[in-house]
Amino acid sequence: MGWFDWISSKKTEEPDLTTRKDRQKCWESRDAYFACLDAKGVIKPGDEGTGCSAEQGKYEQNCAKSWIDYFNQRRVLAEQQKESLAMAKTQEEEAKRRRKS
Amino acid sequence: MNSGLSRAALRPFLSRSRCVGQRFRMVKKNYSSSVQQQTPRGSRDRAAVGVFTPKAAAVFVATGVGLYLYFRYEKEKIQEAKRKELESRKWGKAAVGGPFQLSTHEGKPFSEKDLLGKWNLVYFGFTNCPDICPEELDKMTEVVNELDNRFGEIAQPIFISVDPARDSQPQIARYLKDFHPRLVGLSGTYDETKAVCKTYRVYFSTPKDASPDGDYLVDHSIYFYLMDPEGEFVEAFGRSSTVEEVVKRTAEEIGRWEGEKGRKT
Repeated sequence: MGWFDWISSKKTEEPDLTTRKDRQKCWESRDAYFACLDAKGVIKPGDEGTGCSAEQGKYEQNCAKSWIDYFNQRRVLAEQQKESLAMAKTQEEEAKRRRKS
Repeated sequence: MNSGLSRAALRPFLSRSRCVGQRFRMVKKNYSSSVQQQTPRGSRDRAAVGVFTPKAAAVFVATGVGLYLYFRYEKEKIQEAKRKELESRKWGKAAVGGPFQLSTHEGKPFSEKDLLGKWNLVYFGFTNCPDICPEELDKMTEVVNELDNRFGEIAQPIFISVDPARDSQPQIARYLKDFHPRLVGLSGTYDETKAVCKTYRVYFSTPKDASPDGDYLVDHSIYFYLMDPEGEFVEAFGRSSTVEEVVKRTAEEIGRWEGEKGRKT
């Protein structure tokens, strides 16, 4: 997973993510941005063009770069996982059907 | 003849085949004699032995013996299971934990000796952790609150930083404010962190030369450990363990401890 990044941060009025309050703010703006992506049917953040720029701006303001990369990657991974889980399920059902017949 | 009959009936379990043979013979004899004497057979037998007929006695004794054997068997089974459990607890213990030297978020030294006399919940994480660490620490806070309610303050929540480059003591102190008030935040140099992670079988990805101003995440094992009041490993709880599960497991362990040692810690 994208745990591991090497981007140094610029220390300009960054949120203090060691506090619950700022973490909450980051998560909320992330959820708002992702909701916008969902509405547009976009999985991978960045593929939406300028459609969610207001949400994206807030997201980038409230979260650290490393967090954004992590959340974005996780969103994509989660989608892939959903697909492969669905595939595994259909395969399993098919195998069951075959066993019965 | 009657006395012979009841004697035979009262030891059916000693030699069943012989007994059956005797009884068969005797019933035959009995029948012929009753015909000769013209007495109603049933009433005469009842007068001799009451309602406690040989047949009833046999059934009674056989049932008793059967039940006795059955319960003995069940008891043995339970004892066997208990013995096995005790053995597996003795030998199946994972080699997690050991000596370490770190400092608390208040700058006090803290070693494995400071685990003694408390039930310790130990979590490894870092303060710049996006979501998993705060979730786990919230879970730990709830667990400790519940244990406090049930047993008093015998649990000690511990956070060990796996990010020595950035997690200064003041930073950890600020971070911990949002969680349980008794939560102790431990940190050390890179080597000390590496050593404690090794004894606790925790993987972490922070490089040795990480910059204190770097914006990076640390990949690390997500477990919190339950250590007993002698500092021995009891259990590792993963992300999927719920507060209820952790409390239940810990309470069981405390109960067992109390049963064995007569005290909770």
